[in-house]
Amino acid sequence: MTRIDLGPAAAEHVLALADDEHLIGAHHSTWIGVCPFLEEDLAFCSIAQDELGHAIGLYELLTDDVDRFALLRAPEEYRSCAYVERLMPGWADAFVRHWLYERAEQLRWDALTTSTVPELAALALAADREEAFHRRHAEQLMERLTTPGTQAAAIIASAVNDHVASAASLFTPVTDEATLVADGVVARSAEALLDDWWAGLGTWAVAHGVDLPPRPTAPGPAARRSRTDDFTTVHGDLTAVISLDPTAVW
Amino acid sequence: MTRTYEVFLKKAGKDEFRHAGALDASDPEMAVTLAREAYVRRGEGDDLWVVDRSHVLVADPDFVRANEDRPHRHNDGSAIAERRRRVRDAEETNP
Repeated sequence: MTRIDLGPAAAEHVLALADDEHLIGAHHSTWIGVCPFLEEDLAFCSIAQDELGHAIGLYELLTDDVDRFALLRAPEEYRSCAYVERLMPGWADAFVRHWLYERAEQLRWDALTTSTVPELAALALAADREEAFHRRHAEQLMERLTTPGTQAAAIIASAVNDHVASAASLFTPVTDEATLVADGVVARSAEALLDDWWAGLGTWAVAHGVDLPPRPTAPGPAARRSRTDDFTTVHGDLTAVISLDPTAVW
Repeated sequence: MTRTYEVFLKKAGKDEFRHAGALDASDPEMAVTLAREAYVRRGEGDDLWVVDRSHVLVADPDFVRANEDRPHRHNDGSAIAERRRRVRDAEETNP
């Protein structure tokens, strides 16, 4: 992909998805070598690479210098949501975030497959081919980890409950989202996607005997412009090398 | 409880399936999912077989080793070539 003139609202939308993909991929990649078992290590890190690849594809629509753009913006110039900034050192949390994220991500990419911006639609269709594996992996492993009566099922149910309010921030809209929907840049509003995501979780919760908290609400667009405390740590890790010599050419 | 699965890959075309390795998984469905990333993440194959190791029939090594010393069963083509040469020479001598 090459840089295109998206207009400010669409650029914000692309940047929000790109930064979410970037940070989730970065978090996933921290499990290289330390996943609970080797096979999962390989799968999880492949997924991390895919998410980073999707972020790159989106960044390329916005800039000619992806590395610097992805890493060296000031924190206030990022548009990531709170959920992908959160530090999660435990495997149960990391896996539940992967599962919740994949379900949200499917809806977010699907809303772009018919975009009036052809480059965005093409990217969404390409991403969906890889996402199909991510969802299969997440759903199958989730199914194994929620066998009724097991310790794992209790840990997972607790983590899902802890996460859903924060995970709803994945549906934080950008400013002028209504214009984007009206113009067909994105098919549906983040609020409509959140409805679908929550309905899907409700079906899963009933099937697995898990009680969920009341439907969470997503923050307003202003939240896309502010960073959580965890972002400082994540961003510090991501830029640890490039900060040694920001002018270096790799 | 995990089980061990043997993984086989085949490239498109006439190449045969070849053993790629093994992995542990909770059940057959997870085995196929995990095999994809463990062994085909760089596009090493176009077709994937995953076999529960307990389903592999293993021959007794003593039964197999009886066929170790059978040089006469190795064919490098020289015996056939020699035979063809003799026939050709005979035809040239007695046309």
